[in-house]
Amino acid sequence: MSVRVIGISGSPHRHGNTETLLDSFLDGARNSGGLVEKVILKELSYTACMGCNACHKTGRCIVKDEAPGLFEKIMAADCVAVASPIYSMGITAELKGLIDRTQFIWARKFILKNLYFPTEQIKRHKGIFISTAGLSWDNVFDAAFPIITAFFNTIGYEYYDNIIANDMDRFKGIRGHPTALTEAFEKGEKVVRVIEALKA
Amino acid sequence: MPINVLAFAGSPRRGGNSETLLDWVLDPMKHEPDVQVEKIIVVDADINPCKGCNACEVLNYCVQKDGLVSIHDKIVAADIIIFASPIFCMGVSSQAKALIDRAQVFRSRKYVLKLPIVPPERKGKRLGVFLATAGQTWDRVFDGAVMSVKCFFHVIDIPDSDIHYLMIRGVDEKGAILSHKTAQKDAELLGKEMISTLRNRLEAVNRE
Repeated sequence: MSVRVIGISGSPHRHGNTETLLDSFLDGARNSGGLVEKVILKELSYTACMGCNACHKTGRCIVKDEAPGLFEKIMAADCVAVASPIYSMGITAELKGLIDRTQFIWARKFILKNLYFPTEQIKRHKGIFISTAGLSWDNVFDAAFPIITAFFNTIGYEYYDNIIANDMDRFKGIRGHPTALTEAFEKGEKVVRVIEALKA
Repeated sequence: MPINVLAFAGSPRRGGNSETLLDWVLDPMKHEPDVQVEKIIVVDADINPCKGCNACEVLNYCVQKDGLVSIHDKIVAADIIIFASPIFCMGVSSQAKALIDRAQVFRSRKYVLKLPIVPPERKGKRLGVFLATAGQTWDRVFDGAVMSVKCFFHVIDIPDSDIHYLMIRGVDEKGAILSHKTAQKDAELLGKEMISTLRNRLEAVNRE
């Protein structure tokens, strides 16, 4: 069975640095035979979490939009790459809005306790964070990591790897970066082979 | 001149823990005759996410004409700016993050266009406050939120030394903060301190 890979672009820009880096990763995954789908968050119709906690009782989100369908797709996939540029030291509001909507999955795991991901299953599901930042600071991704960790934990994915590139302002964009696009392509190729081996 | 306090309630939940914490900070301020308090409910304020178009780097204003138009002016006019958010998934709420990201127009003004954020006589006089509540009790649960909130305050010309924090862990369900041992007392004290600090600063200016 083919390895299913979903790339989620959380940038408000089309074809900017982050989406280009994601594309390179997805091209690599395709090159290894992965079944690839890309979701552009700004084209998806969903609202932010309302913090109503209704899901703590029902395990379902009361908001009817396109977010729960995307989570179903994610749960049925083998690899998820979430991509966001760094804005104000964090991920975009669009991606944060999607991640906050996983509350119903969290509630099922920790409050209702009717959802459980065995360790072996988590190991077979690889989550990858793809990001670019204009600034050169070493810590520019630090506030994003815990959010991405929370996301992958909630959806039963192993936080497998980062594909991150800072200092975009100096490189004049991702295409000026010496290694990032190649690294992304190779990591895309590799993760599909790794998952294939785990599924065999 | 009255002291202008601008407060952002960044939770989608009305009357929840972070907004209650905010109200406790604002209460003593409201009792002062020379203080004007405005509370903005971020989810009702029509704030779209930043489009990342970078037009503000040239235009010095945001091309999006939404709730941020009036909020922009209020941020410039305020003496004390208070930002309250719950922690969702180890960060501020996405609605609060949208507000932070839209402060990009100030970042462009300050760092790209190198223009002042406030008139010279008000520079260094303003105060920022970050209030947060988290259901989790982890030591590092506020770390990511603080990094983004600092960006917000820095671009509106409030340096680290003028940002004050009150962050409460382990309060999840609505109303949980009401049974917290110290939150209300600390919040009210913080509200009083902010006003007296600001008054001292303004009086120092008047003496000069």
